[in-house]
Amino acid sequence: MSSPLILLPGDEVPTDYLPSNGSAPLRLGPGLRLLSEAHPTPASTSKHVLTATQAGILSTDNKRNAISILSSSNRRYVPTPNDLVIAQVHHSSVDYFYCMITPQSPHAVLGQLSFEGATKKTRPMLQGGDLVYARVLSTGLGAGAEVEIACVNPATGKSEPGGLGPLKGGMVFDISTGFAARLIRASSAPSEQQEVAGLVVLDELGKKLEKVGGFEIAVGRNGKVWVDCSNSEDNAVRATVAIGRCLTAIDEHNLNPTDQRKLVTRILREMKIES
Amino acid sequence: MGGPIASLHPLSRADGSASYKCPATGSNVLGSVNAPIELPGRRDALKPEDATIEVFVKPGTAPGGVGERHIEGILRGALGRIILGREKGYPRRGVVITLAVVGCDNIARGSSYLPILPALLHTSILALLSASVPLSMTFSATVLAVDSSGEIVCEPSSTDAAAAASLHVLAFTSQGHLLLNESEGRFDFDTWERVYERALAICHGTSALGSDGDVAMSENVDAQPLEGFVRDTVEDHIHREYAWKIDAA
Amino acid sequence: MNKEAALSVAERDFILDALREDVRLDGRSADQLRPLTLSFGEEYGHVKVQLGKTSLIVRISAEVAKPHDDRPFDGIFSIAMELTAMGSPAWENGRQGDFETYVTNVLDRVIRHSNALDTESLCVLKGVSCWTIRADVHITGYDGNLIDASCIGVMAGLQHFRRPDAVVKEGQVIVYGIDEKVPVPLNITHKPLSVTFHTFDEGKLVILDATRKEEQASEADVVIGLNNAGDVCYLSKFSGSPVDAMVFVTKTTVALEKVKELNGIIDKALQADLAKRAKGGLAEQARAENDRLIG
Repeated sequence: MSSPLILLPGDEVPTDYLPSNGSAPLRLGPGLRLLSEAHPTPASTSKHVLTATQAGILSTDNKRNAISILSSSNRRYVPTPNDLVIAQVHHSSVDYFYCMITPQSPHAVLGQLSFEGATKKTRPMLQGGDLVYARVLSTGLGAGAEVEIACVNPATGKSEPGGLGPLKGGMVFDISTGFAARLIRASSAPSEQQEVAGLVVLDELGKKLEKVGGFEIAVGRNGKVWVDCSNSEDNAVRATVAIGRCLTAIDEHNLNPTDQRKLVTRILREMKIES
Repeated sequence: MGGPIASLHPLSRADGSASYKCPATGSNVLGSVNAPIELPGRRDALKPEDATIEVFVKPGTAPGGVGERHIEGILRGALGRIILGREKGYPRRGVVITLAVVGCDNIARGSSYLPILPALLHTSILALLSASVPLSMTFSATVLAVDSSGEIVCEPSSTDAAAAASLHVLAFTSQGHLLLNESEGRFDFDTWERVYERALAICHGTSALGSDGDVAMSENVDAQPLEGFVRDTVEDHIHREYAWKIDAA
Repeated sequence: MNKEAALSVAERDFILDALREDVRLDGRSADQLRPLTLSFGEEYGHVKVQLGKTSLIVRISAEVAKPHDDRPFDGIFSIAMELTAMGSPAWENGRQGDFETYVTNVLDRVIRHSNALDTESLCVLKGVSCWTIRADVHITGYDGNLIDASCIGVMAGLQHFRRPDAVVKEGQVIVYGIDEKVPVPLNITHKPLSVTFHTFDEGKLVILDATRKEEQASEADVVIGLNNAGDVCYLSKFSGSPVDAMVFVTKTTVALEKVKELNGIIDKALQADLAKRAKGGLAEQARAENDRLIG
C-alpha cells in the first residue's frame, strides 16, 4: 500500500483501493456504507458506490477481503460483536448481570451462567462494582437493542481465547479506544515480532518487571486496561502504578518506540523499582 | 487578515471536541460532542429509530437566553440533516453538542447571532468528526454582509455587521449543495443571488463556479476555500494520531 | 444523570492500598499539586487554567447597572458557573445538579464574601449607577479539584481584567471605550484561594488536589480558603466521614504554603502577559496614564 488514504464523510472510496481478492464477497467495516449511485455514468459498470461516514484512514485487509475506516482514536466506544471489553457489574437479576461498558450508556447484559463451567451452583457471585473481562456476543438490531456480553466462548464452553472471566484485584486505567485497539494487537502478536502497531512498551515492561514478579494485563476495547502485579509482593502497588503511568503517558503524548523505552526507564526509576 | 485557525480534540473528557477561531469576525468557539450517550428522561423520543440531537450554546459572558435557544434550533436543523442517526449504536441515543463562545465581541442580548453562526457551524462539524459520529457528508459555511451601497463584505467584523443593510449566512455541503441559508435585513433577490455566488466561491473555490470568475479569483488569492480548510484540519489531525502507522508503512 | 459513573471495587481498593504506601496514581506525593499552567486571551480578563487534566476558561466582563437599593454605594460582583456536557459527559446541559450548587457556593464564600474584590470601588454614582462585574467560569475538562482550579481562574481573571473608565460629568455618566481612555484595573483587596483536601482510611490519610478517581474513592473532603497572609476566610467539611480536628490545624499550614505557591504562579503568569502586551506599547501607555492620575 502506498501512502494512506484519508477519507472524510461523503468521500467515495476509489475503486483501486478495494481489496483485489475477487472471489470472496467484500466485507464492510465501520465507517463505510454502500449507496446506489444517483446518476450512474455509462463509463462505470457498477451501480453502487462506497462512501465514508467517518473521518479516518482507509484500511484494507486483503486476506479477509475487508475494508474499514480507522477513525479518531479518542472516540467513544460503540460495542461491536467479538470485541474484548472490561465491564463493570452494576446490579443483577435472577438471570443476568447488568454491566457498564462505557459510562452514560445503557447497561449490557451478561448471563449468570455465561462463565466457564458455570452451573446454577457454581456460578460466580458478582456484586455491583466487580469487574469482568468479557467478549461482546451480540449488539442486537434497531432501536432499543440490548448489548449482550459473555465470559465464555459459546462454541467451546471455555473462557479461552482471551482469558475471560471475573477480574480480581489489580487496578483499571483509562486509555483511549484507539490505543486500546493497538495494545490488543501488540499483546496478541507473536513475541518475536517487534514493534507491532508501533508499541514496544509491553515488551519493555515485561523484560524490566520480570525480576520483580511480572504482571498480568487485560485490555478492553472500551478504553480500559486492567493491570495486576500481585506476584510482586512488596513492589505490587508501585509496579502497577508504574505500568499505568507508562500506558497513559504513551497514549496521551503519542510516543514513538524510542521515547516509549526512555519513558519506561524513567518511570521505573521514579517509582523506585529495580530492574 | 489571516485565515481561520482550528484544532481537533483539544479537550480531555468529551468524546470529541474542536476549537475554531476566525480572526476576521473575531469569533472564537470551543465545542464538544458526546455521542452516543443515553439521555435519561428522553427515552421515548418522537423517533425512536433515530438519534436525538441536542445542541447547547453557551455565551461567554452572559447567561443564556432566547437568542441562544433560537440559534440552537438553527444548528440542530442543519446538523440533523447530515448526522446519520440510524447507524449502529445511535438509535434512541443522544448526540450532545455543546458550544461555548469563549472569545468574541460580546453579543448583546437580543442582537443577531448571525456573525458567529459560521464559527458555531464549523466548530460543530469538526467536533462531530473528532467524535467519529457517522455523517453523510461535511459542510462549510460563511457569513456575508451587504452594506448600504450594495457592496458585499466577506466575514464582516462586528462593526461592519452592525452597519450592514443585510446579513447572510450560507452553508454548503461538501457536495456543493446549499445546506443552510439564514438572512436578515433588507435585500432583493438579485443581491441574494450575488451573495450566493460569492459564498459558494468562498466555501468551494472557483471550480464550483462557472461564470463570474472575477469575484471568485480575487477571493481565491488571499484564502483557500473553506471546504479545503475543514479537510486539511481533519487530515492533519489524523496524520498526527496515526503517525505510528503511517511512519511504519 | 448528573453523576459520574461509580468506581469499580478494584479501583477503590487499589487507590486506598496505594495511598497507604504513600503512592498516588500519577506519582505525586500527598501534598503535591498537579502542574498548573495559566494563559491569557487577547481580551482583558480571559484566563485559561489547566491543572493536570482539569481545565477551564474564565471570562470577566463589566457592565454599568443600577446598584441594589439597599447598598447604594456598592457595585455588584457575581460568579456564574454552569457545568455543561463539555466538562464531563456525565453532566447534563441546562440542568443544575447538586455539585454545581456546591462549587458555586464555595466560590462565592471564598472570593465574593471575603471581599477579594472591593465592591465599593465599583460605585460610579451613588444609588444611580455602578459597575457590575461578572465572572463566567466555563469548565472544559473535569478531572477532579474543580473548586481550587475555579478559584485560581477567577482570581487570576480579576487581576488581569481592566474595566473601561467612567466619569460623572454634570450628573451624567460617561463611559469611555477601551481605545479612548486607558482601562482601569479592578481594586483587589487580597488574594484568597482555596485548597481542597480529601481524606482516606478513616481520616488517617490526607491528600490535596485529588484527581476525579481519587475524589470518588475518598471518604470526605475538607476545603480551606485563605490568602497569602494566612487569614482563613473559608473552612468547610460538608459530608462524608468525620475528620480529626488536628487535620484542620496541620493542613491549614500546608494550605498556606500552597496558596503562596499558587499566587506566585499567578503573579508570574500575569507579569509575563503584561510584558507581552507592553511590546505592543499598550502597557507603557497605561502606566504613564496612571502615573499622571495618581500624581
